[in-house]
Amino acid sequence: MKATQMFKIALVVLFLFGGLVGCAKPVTDDQTNVTQSDMSQQQDAKPAVDKPMHHDAVPSHDQMAGLKRISFDFDQFTLSAAARSILGDNAKYLKANSGVKAVIEGHCDERGSDEYNLALGESRAIAAKNYLVSLGISAKRLSVISYGE
Amino acid sequence: MLLRGFIVCLVCCALPWSVMAATDIEISSPGEQSIPLALTWLLPTQGTQSAKVAAEFNEVLDADLDLSGLFRFVSQAAFLDDAKHIGLYSTQVNFPQWRMLGAETLIKGTYSLDGEKLVVEARLFDVVNRRLLTGRRYVGERKDVRRMAHAFADLVLKELTGEEGPFSARIAYISNQSGDKELWLMDVDGKRPLRLTNHRSIVLNPDFSPRGKEILFTSYRANNPDLYRKEIYSGKEAKISYKQGLNVAGRMAPNEREIALTLSKDGNPEIYLIGTSGRVRKRVTNSWGIDSDPSWSPDGSQLAFISNRQGNPHVFITDIFSGKTERLTRRGKYNATPAWSPKGDRIAFTRQEGGRFDIYTVNTDGSDERRLSFGPGNSEHPRWSPDGRFIIYSSDKAGNRAIYVMRADGTGARRLTNAKSDSRHPAWSPRW
Repeated sequence: MKATQMFKIALVVLFLFGGLVGCAKPVTDDQTNVTQSDMSQQQDAKPAVDKPMHHDAVPSHDQMAGLKRISFDFDQFTLSAAARSILGDNAKYLKANSGVKAVIEGHCDERGSDEYNLALGESRAIAAKNYLVSLGISAKRLSVISYGE
Repeated sequence: MLLRGFIVCLVCCALPWSVMAATDIEISSPGEQSIPLALTWLLPTQGTQSAKVAAEFNEVLDADLDLSGLFRFVSQAAFLDDAKHIGLYSTQVNFPQWRMLGAETLIKGTYSLDGEKLVVEARLFDVVNRRLLTGRRYVGERKDVRRMAHAFADLVLKELTGEEGPFSARIAYISNQSGDKELWLMDVDGKRPLRLTNHRSIVLNPDFSPRGKEILFTSYRANNPDLYRKEIYSGKEAKISYKQGLNVAGRMAPNEREIALTLSKDGNPEIYLIGTSGRVRKRVTNSWGIDSDPSWSPDGSQLAFISNRQGNPHVFITDIFSGKTERLTRRGKYNATPAWSPKGDRIAFTRQEGGRFDIYTVNTDGSDERRLSFGPGNSEHPRWSPDGRFIIYSSDKAGNRAIYVMRADGTGARRLTNAKSDSRHPAWSPRW
């Protein structure tokens, strides 16, 4: 820092002696550097239109009181012994109620990657579906959807 | 200090050209240098006076320039009378006065408000060399004042660094503030939120097309996670991939001709390339495990993605043409959501460490890994600004999940959305 100041002082002295004194003129012509932007010409995003939408009711877990949830270990989609036993109960319920079609929802911890979790949730749902099929439930009665969280 | 100011004044007065070499401003990345900047308020020229217009312009510009990390602001309390002088020609500015306050750069401007019509003139000056660096005249309406300030912040960064700022862009994100998870759009400072979808279902994971005209996202509207594209300006929307199972994590290629996404139509989640109408063109991955979360390299030749093919989820990079695939992350048991930087040199991702997710960046060859966030809570879904200066992400450190922004080196983190509702999955648009 000191050195720079010394340098500047030296320059001043040098040029004062040289008689090159005159007030500084701005180097740039101000006008050439200033252009105009018309903000009203810019396109803007279109917001959502709130029209009433047809919305299919999705049966919740509570409505299907005869079916029970199973859980998995973190980042796993293999069925534990406890999960197999619960699925066994669910299979009994489905056999006793042959008109019922079931949607198997896969869910996960919502942290991490939602997309990875969706994939994991799907793998979990498919694992449950395959086990129910192995217990004699028709695959046609079972569909799978992953919600990731 | 005073003596130094005096000497510099003398130099300026006598030798406009000789000092230039000594004060060239060179900035390569945020935080490396800080330029002393005097940011004055806009002054009214004619028409109605509106302290609100001046205050809002000042607030937006101050926040953007502060986020850039390039500036040290000269205290406005110390300003002398030149801050109240309207003259915007460099001959009219009292540069020695600003120099005395330690400023090397100066922003001055004026506005005129006539009914709703607003004209703002803003200028950036080099105080040391007493010259105009850049300026712009913005014509619009009173409601455009924030956009004018963002646009000028972009211009200031361009003038000083050669790389335009990303402040005129927008952030797309998912929020449940309407009751359902819908797609929203906001300014890069979190203001002016606008809801874009009305699916009343679950909307997930938005991404902008490289030219910024469209947004891709996944929605459960038709009771399956399907991929949609939406035109931002017209609001038109189309379902483009709706195969059974997952149609998620859609990312448009840099050339906008293909979309990388995860499909589970064959029973196992794999990454595919589809055309913009949804037809499958190529299967990119083929492993027993889960492959998801593709992110394009800027040249469109490679994809970063996550896979648990070797056990735990890790980030991999695959070459689209040769199929050569290499693992990028080695540490941790859960690495996710890779995002390739716009310059191509780094990849941001999240890693779970001690039961919590934080954000990291790493070179594309796996070297120089850096952790950017350190809790509390989980920080996730990192995405880059189009200039690579900033990373936008979501964090639950304030309770509900909210959108945050930080510099690419992890400094300067600030919250953009309130934590009353849940906001996540931010994506920074290309320049608007």
